[in-house]
Amino acid sequence: MIVVVLIAITVITTLPALGGVHIDLGAIARNWANGSERIAKLFHPDPSILPRTWKPLLETLEMAVVGAALSALLALPLSLWAARPSNPTRSRAGVRAVLNVVRAVPDLVYATILVAMVGVGALPGVITLVLFDLGIVVKLVSEAIDSADASYMEAGHAAGGTQTQINRLTALPQTWPVYASQVLYSLELNVRVSSILGLVGAGGLGRLIDEVRGFYRYGALSMIILEILVVVIAIEVASNYLRKRLR
Amino acid sequence: MGSGDHAPEGIPASGAWPIHLEDVIVRYPNGVVGLRGVSLSIAAGEMVSVVGLSGSGKSTMIRTINGLVPATSGTVRVGPYTVNELGGRRLRQVRGGIGMIFQGFNLADRASIYHNVLVGRFSHTPTWKTLLGVASHTDREIVMRALDSVGMLEKVWGRAGALSGGQKQRVAIARALSQEPEVMLADEPVASLDPPTAHSVMSDLKRVNTERGLTVLVNLHLMDLARQYTTRMIGLRAGEVVYDGPASSATDADFEAIYGRPIQSRDTLGQ
Amino acid sequence: MTTATLSLSATRAAAPVKPRRLGVRAAKLTVGLVVLAAVLHLDIGWSDLAELPADLRHYLDLMFAHPDWSRLPAAFYQTWVSVSMAWVGAVLGVVASTILGIPAAQGVAPLWVRLPLRGLFAVLRAVPEVIIAIILLTVTGLTPFTGALALAVGGIGTHGKWTYETIEAVPAGTAEAVRAAGGNVLEVARWGLWPAAAPELMSLALYRFEINVRTSAILGLIGVGGVGDMLTGYTQYRQWDSVGVLIIVVIAVTMTIDAISGAIRRRIMRGARARDLDRTV
Repeated sequence: MIVVVLIAITVITTLPALGGVHIDLGAIARNWANGSERIAKLFHPDPSILPRTWKPLLETLEMAVVGAALSALLALPLSLWAARPSNPTRSRAGVRAVLNVVRAVPDLVYATILVAMVGVGALPGVITLVLFDLGIVVKLVSEAIDSADASYMEAGHAAGGTQTQINRLTALPQTWPVYASQVLYSLELNVRVSSILGLVGAGGLGRLIDEVRGFYRYGALSMIILEILVVVIAIEVASNYLRKRLR
Repeated sequence: MGSGDHAPEGIPASGAWPIHLEDVIVRYPNGVVGLRGVSLSIAAGEMVSVVGLSGSGKSTMIRTINGLVPATSGTVRVGPYTVNELGGRRLRQVRGGIGMIFQGFNLADRASIYHNVLVGRFSHTPTWKTLLGVASHTDREIVMRALDSVGMLEKVWGRAGALSGGQKQRVAIARALSQEPEVMLADEPVASLDPPTAHSVMSDLKRVNTERGLTVLVNLHLMDLARQYTTRMIGLRAGEVVYDGPASSATDADFEAIYGRPIQSRDTLGQ
Repeated sequence: MTTATLSLSATRAAAPVKPRRLGVRAAKLTVGLVVLAAVLHLDIGWSDLAELPADLRHYLDLMFAHPDWSRLPAAFYQTWVSVSMAWVGAVLGVVASTILGIPAAQGVAPLWVRLPLRGLFAVLRAVPEVIIAIILLTVTGLTPFTGALALAVGGIGTHGKWTYETIEAVPAGTAEAVRAAGGNVLEVARWGLWPAAAPELMSLALYRFEINVRTSAILGLIGVGGVGDMLTGYTQYRQWDSVGVLIIVVIAVTMTIDAISGAIRRRIMRGARARDLDRTV
């Protein structure tokens, strides 16, 4: 039964007449001569582009850091606000609904619109990353608070504390490891995202990618991709190390 | 209100509070009835045990006293307050005068012992001060003394999660004591502890009663602990009071009536 | 215990000095400095931020006060193209990750097979789908098919990893039994590991689809079609009332898909737990 449904959906989504994806293997054959030449260039990274990458690379990293830091500041109170034990009132549902909407908009869509609003540069990039991170961090942290043992809350209420007092003094240290780990995770994702934000004008390496692609400099493109690869993996390794130390 | 305005100087808390329940009924939102018309009076400074099997309503009863569980009907009076009529700020104020310890200790494991005991100062501290993370010198001193009095002072900067069960319960007692309460409630305080530790925690509670003169209400399911440490015993069964009398003279037959079944070996701690 | 009493005596033993955790302090300081340096160096006029709320209000007003509902059918059609891309990408990606992910699990294939596969997953995880699409479109052209392929290739990075992690989490007993009965690698995978790992993998595959729905809209921005393509056009021409409609449609469709897919995932996992219980009882 499930298999039939899955196959049906797959068939519908591959019917071009219905707006589905046209699986056009013929196109590969037609474009092969042209494309294979470019792909061959990809295997010969062009190091001459490197000096021009340092500045945008730094900007990419800076956007990632600032985005993660700003979202971390906002995510802490919002997470406590969005979780049941730390916010028994109904306002919780509101916070969750808003965040679900924020999460439903893809990162580059934010960037595209923000660039049109506030102009080209790092600012729309940072705002995009903050929105993107908030969606992830608040969801994961508030879910962690929901599922964690919260019996200490009862003691705080029994002692005559307000919810804010309880959250500040006890829920905060209880949540800290999950929170720090998710913030690190958002930083990892940010590096990946911020390297392409420039494609729509939001600063960082993406602008350079767009440029070399426009000039069909596939050797330079592959050099930049390699660079992103190295940085992303380095950040991932560092963040995994830090996460282990947090336990 | 209360003793919080006075510096603690070796004097027992200003005045213990009496507790009066009048025809208290608790019906949970899911329809389960916790208490079916409980009426009783506990004088200031009494040491009372509440005995019953799990599900008998003793947890519910103790929580109606500080309003953690609202009474569906009836009157709950503690000292000068009618708890079931209060809410918000006033309720928190009353709770500040009622210390409570729990079966599962209810400590924040990742927070330091100091911060866990500082929880006891909530009702005496404005929220914004807690938010900024500043504790007054007096609060700090009270926390240290409370920890000293249960012999846990040298661990003050360690994490609560690193302690043994008995140590955790002592920190929980310190947390309740730092409230400088008039009443002490204990919900199955030794059910998660081994027998020797259970006895030492029970004698700590006993001393809270004798040395500070507090009204102490402690839930137990073990008959020998009730007989040994408390003077008066209230038996609960299916949400109703089925026994109320001196603890030491309660017979095995009385306990069988409370439990609603013959006595078994797990009804005593032993030793 | 000392001779301390439970009354709050005037005298007490000296409290231990609060330990100074220098490492923690140094770490906090480093993080603070890095963030501060990034904030200061970044080419943003932070003073302009004061105008930002007013700006945002202005544009939100332009987008959502009077959306141009005549774009609704086109918006739905393009979103459907994106969702199709996401689905085909998920199917292709999951199939490929299953084929590649199972031999990458410990205890299935030898180290010299495992390591290169895991390396491949790590590399694919690090490269954004947009860049994969930019590479692929040199041979496949600017079509939704390129988008689906990019989603599939990018998906191998994460889903391949999830696949081998899930399989490694399967209790050793079942695989051992098949091996003891003389099964080869394929048979161990099919009869020992697959039944135990399948529900979790199904659930992860659906999750993959949810992620792809978002990413497919992004891929449209580089021109492979779908709602992202449409969005770029209207944004460039600053037709905000149309952009508003597109965003509303994207949010509505994404949230609906999340809700449906999430419900199915929960059912799959509940079913799996129930079966586990059957097995152990």
